[in-house]
Amino acid sequence: MSTKAGLRPWLSATRCMRRSQLSVLQHRRNVFTSSDQPFSLQSPDDWQLLQDRRLRFKMLIDLFSEHGSNVTRDSTFQPHHQLHRPLAPSEATLSALIAAGAHFGHAKSLLNPNFMPYAYGVRAGITIIDLDSTLPLLRRAANLTRAVVARDGTVVFVGTRPDLRAVVRKAAERIGPQAFHVGERWLPGTLTNKLQLFGSDVTKGQRVTPDLAIFLNPLANIHAIRECAIQHIPTIGIVDSNVDPRVVMYAIPANDESPRAAELIAGVLSIAGREGKVLRDREEQSKELRQSRYMRAKERGTTRYVADSN
Amino acid sequence: MNVMRRPLGLSKFRFYSTQTTRPFVPPASLNHFDFRQRQREKPRPTSPAFYTARPEFYDQLSSLESALQHAKTALTTCHLLPLPQFAREALPPRINAWVDKRELGLKLRSTLTTSRYRRVVLVLNELETYRSIAEKAGIAELQEGIRGITELFERADAATMLARGKAKPVKFDEYGRSYTLGKRKTSSARVWIVPVQQPPADKPTSQSISAATETDTALMALLDPNSSSKSNEPVSVAQILVNNTPLSTYFPIPADRTRVIHPIKLAGLLGAYNIFAIVRGGGTSGQSGALAHGIAKGLAAHEPDVATILRKAKLLRRDPRMVERKKPGLAKARKRYAWVKR
Repeated sequence: MSTKAGLRPWLSATRCMRRSQLSVLQHRRNVFTSSDQPFSLQSPDDWQLLQDRRLRFKMLIDLFSEHGSNVTRDSTFQPHHQLHRPLAPSEATLSALIAAGAHFGHAKSLLNPNFMPYAYGVRAGITIIDLDSTLPLLRRAANLTRAVVARDGTVVFVGTRPDLRAVVRKAAERIGPQAFHVGERWLPGTLTNKLQLFGSDVTKGQRVTPDLAIFLNPLANIHAIRECAIQHIPTIGIVDSNVDPRVVMYAIPANDESPRAAELIAGVLSIAGREGKVLRDREEQSKELRQSRYMRAKERGTTRYVADSN
Repeated sequence: MNVMRRPLGLSKFRFYSTQTTRPFVPPASLNHFDFRQRQREKPRPTSPAFYTARPEFYDQLSSLESALQHAKTALTTCHLLPLPQFAREALPPRINAWVDKRELGLKLRSTLTTSRYRRVVLVLNELETYRSIAEKAGIAELQEGIRGITELFERADAATMLARGKAKPVKFDEYGRSYTLGKRKTSSARVWIVPVQQPPADKPTSQSISAATETDTALMALLDPNSSSKSNEPVSVAQILVNNTPLSTYFPIPADRTRVIHPIKLAGLLGAYNIFAIVRGGGTSGQSGALAHGIAKGLAAHEPDVATILRKAKLLRRDPRMVERKKPGLAKARKRYAWVKR
């Protein structure tokens, strides 16, 4: 296995297993059939029988669903939707934030005095975060992300808990090549000791310093925030009631312990980033158009009538 | 960042100010430099996991996880997931033999810690589970797709590793001889066992004699003191040769002989098999023990019904007791020197 393709054949194997390549059965919706009666499974025919029975059961359910309630699986909330179908910044509402549990803070005794402006009150010994202040700050952070990406900036999503790993990965994927993710422990010195960590050829040849850092759990990544401050990188972070909101440049007061709240916020910011990318692509296209017009005009000798391309 | 410079009265959260050791340069002096332009000209890092400082590893882990996700989706589409308990039990229990940490690090081109190795192995185990489900259900395409990934991470000697600890079946050669190895302490015995050939009858008339008269004549021959010992019926003799000498010559001590005969006696096969053995190493009791072990294994191969009896008597087990080493401060392995009060 000397060639690059040979070294990573599992990537090509991944492609061959995409769902589109397999025959998509009509009734793919998965329903847990607790009515499966145990029977012995010896030959492939027995397994086929198991599949057929389940298929028939699901067909029956689909048949009767048409006459049943309007509340179907597609029209109701599904937990995986938050990760794969996030809300746009304009769609983020107070109800969505409350549904994600973003208003739950920490215990009253742990309330950071600098967080007071964002606290609504205390209930059952827990600080309730004022979502009326969260929403505009979330929108502000989304605008910032959009602007940074639109100006060809790089964004880093940092979420170092196991449940945040998939969130940051998906968010970075959504924006594209301009976004990065850190789902594991932030290595100290990533920004301040880049020569040591990445090597001199990478540091000199590539754009290592990011333009924006988004922290889904800032309390665990204090050192990363400090490094960003040293390197003059603007930071966005989900601050909980036990955190001083001045830690990051653009604080979003919300529950940092709930993965659903993190998914919602990261989703909103990634959609904003994607919008920024679209804006950038459009700007690039128009720039190219102007450039080509100018070049053509130059050939013809009629540059005076064409606006200068920058 | 210098902690000592901060007065103790300040809140411990206020350490995000940019205290660097670089000298302050007014921005106006930097007007002729366009750092941002030069930065923007440089290309961006390609891997999305660049800031983890181990991008190759995390990228490859991500691709394995997406392969897993695709496999899961495919099996869900085929109504095989979630698999009910009785179906899970019908799957063959699989012990996976993945490459070790160093090999995997070479394959993924990044040094692996134990935790990272375990993460990859977790994903590979799940992939292998899905592959076995696809294999059992007969979905060849999916099975081959997953196999293409898992075979890259399997040990080269996976077969031998999985067969470790399993008893290999004893093979018989063209003459019907079994070859087994017995060990005890530092002795080893190579044992060949062959069933005793019943010699053909000398008289042709003896074939026509009925069974009842045969026993009568044999009984008469036995009870008659005057009849010669050489009877019409040939007697099969089982021989035990150890290092080309008969058993009685090689083991003069009765305890050793009993130890060797014990497995044959228990199995009730005293005159049935000829045994030829080459024993090396150790002393008398070790050699007799090794021989007994080899004979027991050979008999179990010839007659599988006898194996349970021999196993119950612990004759098929290689006795793990070895001579214990002498320790410093002790006269022998356990013997202490005489205790002196002063």
